[in-house]
Amino acid sequence: MKSEILYPGAFPMVRVELAEGEHIKAESGAMVACSPTIDIESKMEGGFLGALSRKFLTGEKFFFQTLRASRGAGEVLLAPTVPGEIIVMELDGVSEYMVQKDGFLAGAAGVVIDSQMQSMSRGLLGGEGFFILKMSGKGMLALNSFGAIHKIELKPGQEYIVDNSHLVAWSTTTTYNIEKATSGWVASFTSGEGFVCRFRGPGVVYIQSRNPGSFGAWVRQFIPVSQ
Amino acid sequence: MVENTPNALCFGDEFPASGAPCLVHVEDHGLTITFSPDRDGAESRSESLRFSELTVSAGGLDHDQLVATWVGLKGQRTLYLKSPDVIRAFRQAAPDHLSQPLERAAEQVRQVRQRHRMVWGIVGGVLLVVMLGLWFGSDVLVELAVDRIPVEWERKLGESTYRDFLAHQDVMKEGPAVDAVNEMIHRLTGQIPENPYTFEVTVVKSDVVNAFALPGGYIVVFTGLMKKAESGEEVAGVLAHELNHVLQRHGLERIIKQLGFVAVVSIVLGNPPGLGGMMKQLGVELMTLKFGRAQETEADLTGLELLYRAKIDPSGMITFFQRLAEKDEGRVEWLSTHPMSNARAERLKTQLAEMPKQNPEPFTFDWTNVRASQGAPPSTPP
Ligand SMILES: [Zn+2]
Repeated sequence: MKSEILYPGAFPMVRVELAEGEHIKAESGAMVACSPTIDIESKMEGGFLGALSRKFLTGEKFFFQTLRASRGAGEVLLAPTVPGEIIVMELDGVSEYMVQKDGFLAGAAGVVIDSQMQSMSRGLLGGEGFFILKMSGKGMLALNSFGAIHKIELKPGQEYIVDNSHLVAWSTTTTYNIEKATSGWVASFTSGEGFVCRFRGPGVVYIQSRNPGSFGAWVRQFIPVSQ
Repeated sequence: MVENTPNALCFGDEFPASGAPCLVHVEDHGLTITFSPDRDGAESRSESLRFSELTVSAGGLDHDQLVATWVGLKGQRTLYLKSPDVIRAFRQAAPDHLSQPLERAAEQVRQVRQRHRMVWGIVGGVLLVVMLGLWFGSDVLVELAVDRIPVEWERKLGESTYRDFLAHQDVMKEGPAVDAVNEMIHRLTGQIPENPYTFEVTVVKSDVVNAFALPGGYIVVFTGLMKKAESGEEVAGVLAHELNHVLQRHGLERIIKQLGFVAVVSIVLGNPPGLGGMMKQLGVELMTLKFGRAQETEADLTGLELLYRAKIDPSGMITFFQRLAEKDEGRVEWLSTHPMSNARAERLKTQLAEMPKQNPEPFTFDWTNVRASQGAPPSTPP
């Protein structure tokens, strides 16, 4: 399997080359184009209940697509729904990442996707919901962001504060605490800054340069209200 | 090369921030760490560590990883182990000076897990209770909603229905029957502590065997019911029961139950005036409101106590209820809104038997005269 990011920047695609018999998992709807040798199956990762819990608890799509080169080698082109960068990383079997629900684009067959329950405070305040995706296993993993992806590298004990709506993925060797952005609870709620995560290394944290929620609110003001 | 599949991540100045994958072997003296060959083509290298060089703790997102740190030739190194097998082997081989922090780390992991389980357990429990509450008629929510409605508002609601109803009825303004009912109400309400209601009672000339109390304290007694009664105590029993439907706000509970969950929520969130409009539309339905079994029992028992405090012979209540239920062929309207059952009468009898005996004070009126004034035959009704 080989992958390559085309048109890096705001409107990228990933090209994945599959040898005969190889397959990848992709977010449903991510497939843009593919060779005629590729079969598309809708597969419920983690079984029916797993898919169901993802659907209702993370708002994640019910199905992941499986793209399989069953009739010979071929390639697929994948793209996310929102404008923004794509990164491709290689899971080594021991590194694990937590990925917020919209961040997953595609993963190799060896990548294991788990819905994980968060602790109460993280679920309530963190903004990613009570369930997030945990990526482990081995192979190619493609993540996408809204805006550009920025990688924050943390040495052991090093701290960094991230607005939670800008989180994309973070390694499981990090720890984090939810904190309010501004001092004073009233200020937090009225300033709209909400909550931030104080991450502590070692590990890496991927963040996105745009906040989907704020962008949505910005777009909404231009939509005429029909009566 | 299964042998070389990494099982740990090593952090240090010369490693990438995401950690260098490595293979950790636990041996008697310490650890052997083998780094996978670099992409640059450097050869795989191994490093041996004695247990005495290490300090350990629990770390990672869920505090379930074993973190070992030491100072190597190139500065501080941190190793994250998450494979349960390796952690187990480590704990078995580790010497005394590490076992204490290891136990502490393990304890920390257990505590975190337990706390997670507990929090989720509580959340699950609360969800279950809420769902059961909704499933079984949302009684808790109904009570919550009823508590939010001020008595003043309840009175306005009852009063408008009361006036509307009486406008089309043959109201008995005076006479022995009115005096008798007023005396009963006076005796009973005098025994209600901290009564927020001003009870108003009207006797209506009608053969309908009924009596009802509207929310806010408006009571209507039909002469048809009085004709069926063999004593003033029997009518007083019905009134004591009705008064307690008002005092326990049973009417409101039923209405809110019928209006449904949305109304309940809107009241809890503080919008009673909006509900007022909805309830006004219900109009006469207030009077045909059928009480629930639990409400009947509550009104029975509290009614019995009220009679007792007012020194009115409570046995009249029981015999009247039973006679109404037995003799009638479906013409007792009162029973259609206050469903009678043998259990109800039995419950009242048991309750009465438990109360200390007292000498009841008779009413000042003569019941035979009261009944005669309504044109009823002086003997038992047919
Ligand atoms: Zn009743």
